[in-house]
Amino acid sequence: MKAVFLGTLAASQAAPITSFISEAVRTEIVDDGDRPRVAAALADADIVLTGAWRRSHPPAPKLRLLQVPLAGTDGIDVAALPKGVTLCNAYGHEAALGEFAVMMFLAWRHRLFDIATSFRGGSWFWSPTVGGPARGEIGGQTVGIVGLGHIGSEVARRAAALECRVLAVNRSPREKPPSVERLFPWAELDRMLGECDAIVLCCALTPDTAGLIDEHRLRAMKRGAFLVNLARGPIADEDALYHALRDGVIGGAALDTWWRYPSAAEPEPRPSRHPFHELPNVIMTPHCSPRTAETIARRSREVARNIDRFARGEPLENVVATT
Amino acid sequence: MKALFLGGVAADTARGIEAQLPGSLDVTIIDDPIDRRLLPAAAGAADILVSNHWLADYPPAPKVRLVQSVATGVDLFELAALPAGVTVCNAFGHETAIAEYVVMTMLALHHRLFEISGEFRERSSWRTSWVEGGEPHGEVRSSTLGIIGYGRVGREVARRAIPFGCRVLAANRTQRPAEPGVERVYPLAELDRMLPECDTVALCTALGPETTGLIDARRLALMKPRAFLINIARGQVVDEDALYAALRDRRIAGAAIDVWWQYPNAAEPHRRGSRHPFHELPNAIVTPHNSGWTGGMVRRRWDEVAENLGRFVRGEPLINIVTAGG
Repeated sequence: MKAVFLGTLAASQAAPITSFISEAVRTEIVDDGDRPRVAAALADADIVLTGAWRRSHPPAPKLRLLQVPLAGTDGIDVAALPKGVTLCNAYGHEAALGEFAVMMFLAWRHRLFDIATSFRGGSWFWSPTVGGPARGEIGGQTVGIVGLGHIGSEVARRAAALECRVLAVNRSPREKPPSVERLFPWAELDRMLGECDAIVLCCALTPDTAGLIDEHRLRAMKRGAFLVNLARGPIADEDALYHALRDGVIGGAALDTWWRYPSAAEPEPRPSRHPFHELPNVIMTPHCSPRTAETIARRSREVARNIDRFARGEPLENVVATT
Repeated sequence: MKALFLGGVAADTARGIEAQLPGSLDVTIIDDPIDRRLLPAAAGAADILVSNHWLADYPPAPKVRLVQSVATGVDLFELAALPAGVTVCNAFGHETAIAEYVVMTMLALHHRLFEISGEFRERSSWRTSWVEGGEPHGEVRSSTLGIIGYGRVGREVARRAIPFGCRVLAANRTQRPAEPGVERVYPLAELDRMLPECDTVALCTALGPETTGLIDARRLALMKPRAFLINIARGQVVDEDALYAALRDRRIAGAAIDVWWQYPNAAEPHRRGSRHPFHELPNAIVTPHNSGWTGGMVRRRWDEVAENLGRFVRGEPLINIVTAGG
């Protein structure tokens, strides 16, 4: 049995994943820029681990398991896969993202960046000892979670632990967990947006959610509201979000996912065609929220377990689709 | 009954709680700067003193039976200059603010928020990105948080940390039962056994003889090299030189410091919080003694003052008693 780790993303996780595989599986790591090598590797691959699959990929006639080593399968063109393939994804990052989202809302309400920067420069302006201004808290604030799946649930639980009032909206009906005060149907997203001090995007990127947060929805949010995007950049309309933040339509944002990513041609690009880095009300991180040692270990074990199950002919976990 | 609100903080408090006070309470406000000519009459008539201080050379206040501090501290009241047997009460309201600050800085330190966001904003560095298989940061789930000082603030920190999946330990001067989710409360005398277990150490204790210089070079050496220290207590709980050296030399991973060893004054309004340049350390988050300073704290503290004044007027038992009257 042969498993191919295809592309940078999969390659970077090959070592930890391989270390947890217990069945006899040959593994090969292939740079997706080397087309002849890719073709040779895919020719007899039973399993491919990758974040991206396009029509232009060489044939993979023996492929039965496409294991995406992350939660987002938006890089996979399912129609381009051969027949008889099971597409699986992987989690393990929910706690890290839950922590990240709440950390950002805390940093916003507590004005951590403004205060630390001011004090680092030598000013006691923010101190009560010199009569400085009081800042905010998140306890009692309303947090709205868009997409109450694995990640949204973990955000909800931590926000509730900090005494936030938690609302949520989900594309399909589901049971309301104890940490969520009210679960809105998808059609009532705009109503929820208007009630929230913070909005956390936790949904997958699909045709239904691309551009979901557009100019209209940004105006439906409170003027001082804080947007956290840990999901996928394109869920927010790039132009609308930049202008809304620049012009004070919403209060601020923490963005971990973007519209432009590194490539061979441009390894350190600005993450948008707009200068978000010039805005003082934006916390920017380079899609690193899931990148914790513990998440890597949990996810690697999860993926390795699936590969072992496949090798033994057992039912798989985290099945997204079958072709 | 007459209440004297003395000084700027008390004046703000009076204005904030005006609607909550009993109609029968006669309120006099002397705002900053204090006009001493108004004091003899006001002090002489007051049954209740609401302030953050009372000086030894103020005129007599022979009718005062309740001293209501507008802060947690009562050390600025010269009690010998007030009638014997007066009841002294303080006010809190800061626990939520400080607990959120501790959780926030614990997350920011483990997730390396300043370092990662700074280099992304300044240089568009994707070094730590997941798409690059970049250098990972930490998370707090399954980490061990040690809370030194398991009082009002310490317990609020614990309550928030537990749902994040932290293993929570505590140390306290006096024996105190562990609330659900706190694995163990060590006596302060056994602090050396708790420190090596911790990924984060949060100082939430009051400053006193047993806590002055508590975290010295020896105790910093007992901490894990990847551990973080958060100080919201008092600067003097930590040895200034030892902490600076430990952070500079990465013998602990980092710190969030809200309380300092020196403060600005009229002569030196821009004085830094330490003789060492903590503000130049990339692994220190520094804030100017404001972990408790939020709008929510101010509101909650006002509510506690209003509550106590109402109780006093109605002859009901008081809250937040520091010294019970005779």
